[in-house]
Amino acid sequence: MKKYCLVSLFSATCFLSAFAQTNYDVKLIPAELLPHANVVKRMEELRVVIKNAGKAVLYNKYAVTILNAAGENAAGLTENYDQFISVENIAGTLFDENGKKIKSLKKSEVQDLSGSSESSLADDARIKHHNFNCRMYPYTVEYQTEVELKGVFYLPHWLPIEDENFAVEKSKLIVECPLDYNLRYKVFNYNKEPQKTLLKESQQYEWSVEKLPAIESERYQPEWHEITTAVFLAPSNFEIQHYTGNMNDWKEFGKFIYALNIGRDQLPANIKQQVHALTDNVGSSKEKIKILYEYMQKNTRYISIQLGIGGWQTFDASYVASKAYGDCKALSNYMYSLLKEAGIKSYYTLIKAGQNRTALLADFPSNQFNHIIVCVPQPKDTVWLECTSQTLPMGYLSGFTSNRYALLVDENGGTLVHTPDYNKLENLQTRKIAADVNEEGKLTASIETKYKAQQQDELQGMLDAVNKEKIAEILKEELNLPSYDVSSFNYATQKAALPVVTEKLELTANNFASISGKRLFISPDVLNKSTTKITQADKRKFDIKIPYAFTDVDSVEITIPAGYTAESIPANVTIDTKFGTYSSTIKVNERKVSYVRIMQRNSGRYPATDAVLLADFFSKIYTSDRSKLVFVKKD
Amino acid sequence: MKRCPVLLLAVVLLCSKLYAQDKPGIKFNHVLPADFNIDNLKVDTSYGAVIIADIGSSSFDGNNKGWFSLIYKHQRRIKIINKKGFDLASVEIPLYISTKTNSEERLESLKASTYNLENGVVTETKLDKDAVFKDKQDKNHIVRKFTMPALKEGSIIEYSYTINSDFLFNLQEWVFQGSYPRVWSEYNLDLPNFFEYVFLSQGYNPFDIKKSDTRTTTYSVREQGEGMRTETYTIPATNTSTRWVMKNVPAMKEEKFLTSLDNHISKIEFQMSGQQFPNMPYHDIMGNWHTVSDALLKDEDFGERLDKDNGWLNDDMKAIKAGTTDNLEEAKKIYAFVKNSFKCNGRHGIYLTTGMKETFKNKNGSVADVNLLLTAMLRHEGMQANPVILSTRSNGFTNEIYPLINRYNYVICRLDIDGKRYFLDASEPYLGFNKLPENCYNGAARTINKEVEPVYFFADSLRESKFTNVMLFNDETKAGKWSGSLTTILGYYESSNIRDKFIDNGKEAFEKKLKESYSGDFSIDDIKYEDEKDGEKSIRMSHNITIDGDNSSNIIYFNPMLKEGYKENFFTAAERKYPVEMPYKMDETYNFQIEIPKGYAVDEIPKSAKVSLNDGEGFFEYLVSKTDESVMLRSRVKLEKATFLPEDYETLRNFFDYIVKKHAEQIVFKKK
Repeated sequence: MKKYCLVSLFSATCFLSAFAQTNYDVKLIPAELLPHANVVKRMEELRVVIKNAGKAVLYNKYAVTILNAAGENAAGLTENYDQFISVENIAGTLFDENGKKIKSLKKSEVQDLSGSSESSLADDARIKHHNFNCRMYPYTVEYQTEVELKGVFYLPHWLPIEDENFAVEKSKLIVECPLDYNLRYKVFNYNKEPQKTLLKESQQYEWSVEKLPAIESERYQPEWHEITTAVFLAPSNFEIQHYTGNMNDWKEFGKFIYALNIGRDQLPANIKQQVHALTDNVGSSKEKIKILYEYMQKNTRYISIQLGIGGWQTFDASYVASKAYGDCKALSNYMYSLLKEAGIKSYYTLIKAGQNRTALLADFPSNQFNHIIVCVPQPKDTVWLECTSQTLPMGYLSGFTSNRYALLVDENGGTLVHTPDYNKLENLQTRKIAADVNEEGKLTASIETKYKAQQQDELQGMLDAVNKEKIAEILKEELNLPSYDVSSFNYATQKAALPVVTEKLELTANNFASISGKRLFISPDVLNKSTTKITQADKRKFDIKIPYAFTDVDSVEITIPAGYTAESIPANVTIDTKFGTYSSTIKVNERKVSYVRIMQRNSGRYPATDAVLLADFFSKIYTSDRSKLVFVKKD
Repeated sequence: MKRCPVLLLAVVLLCSKLYAQDKPGIKFNHVLPADFNIDNLKVDTSYGAVIIADIGSSSFDGNNKGWFSLIYKHQRRIKIINKKGFDLASVEIPLYISTKTNSEERLESLKASTYNLENGVVTETKLDKDAVFKDKQDKNHIVRKFTMPALKEGSIIEYSYTINSDFLFNLQEWVFQGSYPRVWSEYNLDLPNFFEYVFLSQGYNPFDIKKSDTRTTTYSVREQGEGMRTETYTIPATNTSTRWVMKNVPAMKEEKFLTSLDNHISKIEFQMSGQQFPNMPYHDIMGNWHTVSDALLKDEDFGERLDKDNGWLNDDMKAIKAGTTDNLEEAKKIYAFVKNSFKCNGRHGIYLTTGMKETFKNKNGSVADVNLLLTAMLRHEGMQANPVILSTRSNGFTNEIYPLINRYNYVICRLDIDGKRYFLDASEPYLGFNKLPENCYNGAARTINKEVEPVYFFADSLRESKFTNVMLFNDETKAGKWSGSLTTILGYYESSNIRDKFIDNGKEAFEKKLKESYSGDFSIDDIKYEDEKDGEKSIRMSHNITIDGDNSSNIIYFNPMLKEGYKENFFTAAERKYPVEMPYKMDETYNFQIEIPKGYAVDEIPKSAKVSLNDGEGFFEYLVSKTDESVMLRSRVKLEKATFLPEDYETLRNFFDYIVKKHAEQIVFKKK
């Protein structure tokens, strides 16, 4: 009896605080959430309160338990802010393994840092950052933030599972908006309708999840939102600074962008004269585009300046003309203005750029873009112009912006179109090697490689960025040969619609062939050994998504020293699968070894069950690429 | 008559040559069409840009705060050759401010112009004031940024600015060398005799001009007196002006196995040593190691707490040392407690970043916070523990003679028990008692105690020894199939590295990677560790190996080094300008034994060999033998030095070439 009293007394006094605060004892984490988890999100409540088209407040409260050092990335809090986002409040508490409070965050411990990226000359991005820097694993941090959006141009998305090896105990998204507000959302991996509640003067939507186990990442996996629960939000009517618009469809979104930039295409008189001087006597419009694109490339460079609305609005064309620099918006607008002066219609075009892009949600009009290019429709085809590059040939987009949706903008609004994709025959790499191996196993080789389309993107990027000495240094590091020296190298770029870089190398490699006593071992695949391995294919969970297609053709001729006869020659290999094809053939004719390797990889999406086949494909290539010829010296 | 022009030309040439020897040969703010021609430059023009003139000066001026300000002027002309040099057109000027002492560095009179040559005419485009941006990085650091307007390939750019600084300790250093070649690099210092600085210069490039002059002058210093009155003091001075010039300085490149590029770059630095005003006693600022050590020990941000009784530790210390009987055991417990329960945020520096009590409560802090707390805890128990300050390899060398405190960036703890010394670092969870990270082995360090004893940590005193043993036996099911084991006692630093990986990503991830590294015919399992958690020892790791070889052609080829051999030479560059500074000496032994497959005979084994490096600086041994049942191999690579001079580079590279060659050789079994 006495005991009972004590307990009830205890619980009564604790009631209030227990109501306000969850028990973060690590022992309370459901056992099924622990496998492969470095972090467990104990609770999360993200509340988005949309007051009107120009204002929203985000209240977020979450707690994560950091189980070990590998989960440490999730322990800190980072809030980005700028002119349109203000961080109103940050609170935080650290709990030990038993859920006992260790300490609370002090305002003075929150760092206020510049959020400018290295490559940016000026922007107003700033960061509030905090970390308890605890090392007594496991421990729990709870954070509470209040952030105000001045202008509802974009809304946060909800991804309860934020990362691999990250489990979720419970998480909730609540959106509150005025009764007449048309909230737009797009949902992935959530099989219910949101719970809707009508309040007195507002309406409320709620999504929630519980007990989501950790995800282990897999090679070639689809985009994150395709494999885990996600809700994307977007406004309908919105306001930012004093500009208004709506995003109900792409057309309207485009109208807003057009209005933001209207009148910013005025070129100074001297540049107008230049345009006419350069193009008036040129017949074909394609030729005019080329001349003006190259003029723009020669006379400007990319400098990023993003201040306030300038993050979305372009600088005037006259600004670019006088400074000779601008960001993607300013340079694209400048290019558009040059073309306009020459009487050529073009479009200021929004795109989501990046080599490893997450695809645009095409059926969900919203602010998903991070880059601007120019599109010039022509009677027969369409010319695409990347204006931040000073070297790309006219019309070539590179892997940065190819094969994806883009939004063309003009006075009639926005139109969604698709940029070109480069196929496996276009992304072609052909290499010819003529080589000698001497008595010591030293290789002397002349190598000519042609890299085309996306296969040259990275190389061309390097050639543009670094000087000759640095290229020499890189060449002397990156080839996968035992101990080698590049005695000469040369690069030539053919600026065509599909650019080609031709690389010529002269190199020597000590110990390329291994000589043990009377035998000589040679691996004829000199430079293109595949390193891809797919592990745990039988346990694959997610679809396989192979990003881009290519073809590699390697032809090698090696002359070996006199006096040897072949003892072992690897058999020819041919593999033909839906992921691609591979073949290697080896011929020996007296002292001459001829080797041809052809690999084609397809892009595409395949079910998880195909992983075993895919692993087998890469494993066979891995082995074949490393096979060796053996020669024996005649006595 | 005819000879005249020739003579005249000769005289002009002579004059211009004389002129060119002492002056940069260009005039700032005055760009001529001829300046765009780079044909006659004596530096490498393949870098995308050349710094034509880089001139800095530092002088002193009386200010109206009753003291002096440092005036640093910098002007630069750059020739942009192509777009690879465009990054030189974006300039960042870092400035320091201290609200605590109301002191600052102010940027003044910034001017910048881009010059282009258009149809033989030089046009100038000035930088607009509104195109200079300010990035407030944190409460002490501001960066002013701008980029040059109207920039093209071929442009010449010029900029100049002045920094007016209240920080007399921060007399700007001058770096004569960088990632672009410099035609003319010059620094001028005008130093009044009442300020004394120590000059420190380093690098491999000689000065082309180094000249000093003296003159007399006066300084006036103003101060707000009582009421609105301004007091003005006039101070006579004898100034020494020094000018340092280097011409045609090549660009500097990063190389592997270097402590820090900063240790080898050509530069000159200054450290205030004292002040001597007329009719005033000499004010020693730099002091000597004894005064510096005394000051550090009294400094509340360093040693002040070490001598206090720190009663707040009493209860915790009781729990930590519970059950220990001798000093060493107790010290190990205290060390383990700090190392395991405190999280070091990785920040270097010798000063505390927060109070010791605070560190103890929060269980985290910088290297100094953690190791000075460790020192205080050991002293609390009456032990002889003292801080040692040092500079890490990546931070650069220290100066043994001058007490240049700002060159030190790391604190460890020295413990003396029964005449034996122990050096402790509790900032890394994978380290053990009396073990220091590789990065600490950078030469001269100092114990901060009454005697200020120097201590030395040389990479040449470290030996990383690894011992691997492989045994392979025939699998009865198939000729050419073997199973066996690999046992390896790793080197200490490789062990540390693995411990670090265990902490960061977990053991599972490490083993997954290890298994993946074996491919094709090879597979491993049953990975075991010994002494994995004992940071004082090296890890002993073992696993089973199965090799399912190809026996289809009656001949089996087998590389006895398995995955353990050197496949590539890590000295890739054909030549080298700087010394090779490896983190330790090495000694790697590999023993291997394989059973001959049933029905097969050994057709060929690699030849044994032994080579030595530079007369006893190292050797490589590769010994192969066979019996009727087995083939045995022993490979050993040993280096007796960690640091090699550039002239020894080629032999070192050849030495490793030879190892790569031997490690690729194969055993051949042939069907009987």
